[in-house]
Amino acid sequence: MIDATPVPETLAAKAGTLFDQFREGDKAKMADLVALLTPILWHTARAQRLDAHSAEDVVQSAWLALIRNAGSITSPIAVLHWMIVTVRREAWRTASRQSRLGAMEADEFEARPSNEESPDELVLRSADASALWRHVAQLPARCQQLLRVIAFADRPDYSAVADALGMPVGSIGPTRGRCLAKLRALLSTDPAWGIE
Amino acid sequence: MNNVRDHDADAALDDYDEHILRRMAQMYAEADPVPPDLVARSQFAITLDALHAEVAELQRWGTESMAARAEAPTGVETITFSSSTLTTMVTVTPAGPGTVRIDGWAAPGAGLPVELRLERGSEHTVADEDGRFVFEDVSIGLAQFVLRPVGGAPVITPSIQL
Repeated sequence: MIDATPVPETLAAKAGTLFDQFREGDKAKMADLVALLTPILWHTARAQRLDAHSAEDVVQSAWLALIRNAGSITSPIAVLHWMIVTVRREAWRTASRQSRLGAMEADEFEARPSNEESPDELVLRSADASALWRHVAQLPARCQQLLRVIAFADRPDYSAVADALGMPVGSIGPTRGRCLAKLRALLSTDPAWGIE
Repeated sequence: MNNVRDHDADAALDDYDEHILRRMAQMYAEADPVPPDLVARSQFAITLDALHAEVAELQRWGTESMAARAEAPTGVETITFSSSTLTTMVTVTPAGPGTVRIDGWAAPGAGLPVELRLERGSEHTVADEDGRFVFEDVSIGLAQFVLRPVGGAPVITPSIQL
C-alpha cells in the first residue's frame, strides 16, 4: 500500500480521534480529551470576560453536556467546534446573568474581571510578551477574543474555530484576516517586539 | 487612522503569523493559566454514571472574595445550585484538620435522597421534611452532589473543591 498524504494532526483532528475512540467504548479516552481541550476552552470562557470561578464551572458544565449529547454529534472532527460553541454560549449566558445581578448587587461581579487582567499588574516574563500584550489590548474586543482562542489551535483549524466563536467567514484562515493583519502592523512598528 | 493596509488581511497566513499566535498562546498561558485542578475536576465530574441528569448551575457567595477560594479553606462558603426543578443551597464550614461540614437545604426537598460524590466514594443521606440535610466530617477534595427527586430526573452539580 502506498503512503497516503498524512492528515495533519491538528487539535481538531486529535480531539476527533479521541472522541471517536470514546464512543467506540474506550471510556478512558474521554479523560485524554478533557486534558487536550481544556486550555482552549478555558481561554474561550475567559475571553468572554468571565471571572475565573465562573469560567471553571462553564468549562466543566460543557464536558457534562458533551457526555449527555455524545450521540448527537454527527462527525467526531466536529467535537472541538461543538465544545467551543457550548462554552461560548454558556459563558455569554453566565456573564449576562451576572451583570444583571451586578446591577442589583453593587456591580461586584462586573468590576472583577477587568481588574484581573490589567497589564500593569501582570508580570510577564519578557519584554517581548509585554509588548505583545500592549498591542493586543489595542485591538477591538472581538479581535482579542478571536486571536486569544485561535492561538490555542492549529492553522488548519482556524476557520472552524472562528466559526465556532461566531466570527464571520474569512475572519481568519486560510487568509490572515483583519484582526491578525492589524496586530502585525502594530507589532511591526515596535522595537520591543523582537523578530527571531 | 492607522497604517494597516487592507490587502494584508487578504494575504495567506504565513509562518510569521503562526509565530505571533504561538507567542500569544504563551503569553495567555502565563498571564492567565488554566487553574491547576480544572482538568481533574472535569475528569471527576464526567465519570459519574448519570448521563441523562440535568446539570445544575452554580452561584457562589463566599464570606471572602471569590478569588480566595483556591487557598486553604479557612472561610465558610455558601453555594447555590439551581436547576429547572430544584434549588439547593449548601454551606461548607471548616470542621477540623482536612475536614468540613456541609449543611444543605433543597427546595422542594422533603425526603430528597442526596448523594455526595467524593474521590474515594459516595456518601448518602436523605433530606428531612424541611429539605435540610447534613454531611459531617467530610474530607476536603473534589465533591459533586447528585440529587434524585422521586419521580424526576436526577440533578447533578459541577464538581467543587471543598
